[in-house]
Amino acid sequence: MGAILELQGVSMSFGGLKAVDSLTFDVRENEIVSIIGPNGSGKTTTFNVISGLYEPDSGDILLKGESVAGLRPDQVHDKGISRTFQSLRLFSNMSVLDNVLVGMHSVTDAGLIASMLRLPKVRREEAAMRAKAREILEMFPGRFSGPRQQQPAFSLSYANRRRLEIARALASEPALLLLDEPVAGMNPMESREVMEQIKVLRDKGYTILMIEHDMHVVEGVSDRVIAMDHGVKIAEGTYTEVANDPQVVEAYLGKRAAEATA
Amino acid sequence: MSLDHIVSVTIGGLTVGMIYALIALGYTMVYGVLKFINFAHGEVFTIGGYVAAFTLLTLGVNDGMSALAVAGCLLAAVVASVLVPMAIGFLVERIAYRPLRGRARIIPLLSAIGVSIVMQQSIILVFGSKPVTIPTLALSSASIVVGGIRIRVLALIIIVVSAVLMAGLTYLVKSTRIGKAMRATSQDMEAAEMMGIDTNKTIAFTFIVGSALAGIGGFLVIMYYGSLKFDAGFLYGLKAFTAAVLGGIGNIPGAVVGALVLGMTETYGVSVDLGFLAWFVVAGLVLGLYVQMVRIPRRRLQHIAEDRRTPEYERNLLNVYRLTPYHGVKTLLAERTDALLSVSAEHAVRLMAGNIFLAVVAAVMFVNANVRIDTRWQPVIAFVVLMVILMFRPSGILGEAITEKV
Repeated sequence: MGAILELQGVSMSFGGLKAVDSLTFDVRENEIVSIIGPNGSGKTTTFNVISGLYEPDSGDILLKGESVAGLRPDQVHDKGISRTFQSLRLFSNMSVLDNVLVGMHSVTDAGLIASMLRLPKVRREEAAMRAKAREILEMFPGRFSGPRQQQPAFSLSYANRRRLEIARALASEPALLLLDEPVAGMNPMESREVMEQIKVLRDKGYTILMIEHDMHVVEGVSDRVIAMDHGVKIAEGTYTEVANDPQVVEAYLGKRAAEATA
Repeated sequence: MSLDHIVSVTIGGLTVGMIYALIALGYTMVYGVLKFINFAHGEVFTIGGYVAAFTLLTLGVNDGMSALAVAGCLLAAVVASVLVPMAIGFLVERIAYRPLRGRARIIPLLSAIGVSIVMQQSIILVFGSKPVTIPTLALSSASIVVGGIRIRVLALIIIVVSAVLMAGLTYLVKSTRIGKAMRATSQDMEAAEMMGIDTNKTIAFTFIVGSALAGIGGFLVIMYYGSLKFDAGFLYGLKAFTAAVLGGIGNIPGAVVGALVLGMTETYGVSVDLGFLAWFVVAGLVLGLYVQMVRIPRRRLQHIAEDRRTPEYERNLLNVYRLTPYHGVKTLLAERTDALLSVSAEHAVRLMAGNIFLAVVAAVMFVNANVRIDTRWQPVIAFVVLMVILMFRPSGILGEAITEKV
């Protein structure tokens, strides 16, 4: 299995603060990798660097062997990295279906004049896109059925908004899916459901890099876990290995607790 | 007051309103996407008009030509008055706004004012400071008679063309790929970028479309009035901007509604007798009373917890808004036993004061039924109506659709 994503010594600092410090890891094809770590440990910054919002100060980011560091976010998306956000960032006034269609922006190419004239080619493409968007929404059975697809996104429940974010990110069939705390704020039943869906995504062949605080979810889906603290990778391995790593325990609970468990 | 007069005034108001709408759309679209007022937009409109006039003068259009040749000249003028403003809109965004994007909001605003001055002076440099005038064509003075009412053909053309353009724009924004990109960009630029939308391209496109509409507006104005001054864009831009705010800035249908309201107000205000205008005030009064006595109490009721929403409480609230037992309201104001009722009572008194004001205005107008307001007061009338509307609906007639967040 080849590596889909490789981070090679990526560093990113804001002023004097090193948010991410020479971070190196990879995500292999069809793998689910989770990043854990206390608040402020640089997880979301890592995501922002990967998705092109920030340009890393040093180091390189390779997607299928091709560097994507320094590209604009939309170019990174075109290359095949799509993401969700920790704090929901749906296009709230657009309909559920339109949100998914926006996610397909980079895989459609209907020109302006063609789409104003509604040429048959454009109509076909549009119909195909709509069908595909519906199919993606079908992945969450019963959540986005029928008339709900025409509702504006802001009218959805919190959990459904989270699901819609995942659907929107999947719309472009990305080579790598970044999930930023997909179950944050959900109740245990809902997070179990999302967990199952993430597993289904892996079965469908998706490669996923995920930030998550819910250890049940991390344990349940991850092939590998990476722990970060103060911008540095402090442990990597299976869930059990990482969870029992003294450095990880220390990062979460403090030094004394770490000594007590050791 | 004959029906003929009213119909022709209405058509005049629609025509002016449609021109404002064409310009207002550019303001509102750019605001929707960038939260930024492009003050140079009015000048883009002037340039459209000047370029159209220049094309017509260069081609030497006159009624001696064959109809086909005249049509060709007009087509060339339309194309020029679209393409040149498009190019200018694109360049201005690229040179004067994009480098400043992400700075404090006041900075691109200053840049816009600077661009506006530069463009106005450029018009003088290129075309001179005298107003540009095109020869009178049969088309521009032609009129048709419908049911005994004479209507200028050009006015109808302006109304129809603008309506078609607006429908096209609505379709563009609602249903096309680039339109979805525009809406996504306007709601969350960063998220749109990370969903694969090239926001720079989208913003440039927004400027281009807005400028094209303003350019067509310029063409229509030069055809309608026959001449244009280099600083016409200032006033037109200001009014279109006002219209955009009136309808709800950032809201595309809002810009059209706002522009039509403004155009109608301006035209009606000075073209018909006070006795006729008074009926509009009466309509406003009826609406005001409806809002005070039916709509607001109904809304307030929704904010009350279920268990407290007894029929008696409901009646009390309705009474407060209807100010029926006046002494009861006075007691409420004095005692403040129930916070909601007290606040509502104050609210009701304020609303009633507004309605009484409207009633007095209507009465005064009916007394002076045969007076017609002097044309010089046109902007004042528009301003007063604007203030009254914005006082009651601070976010504009249709609301600021795009900026609204949940």
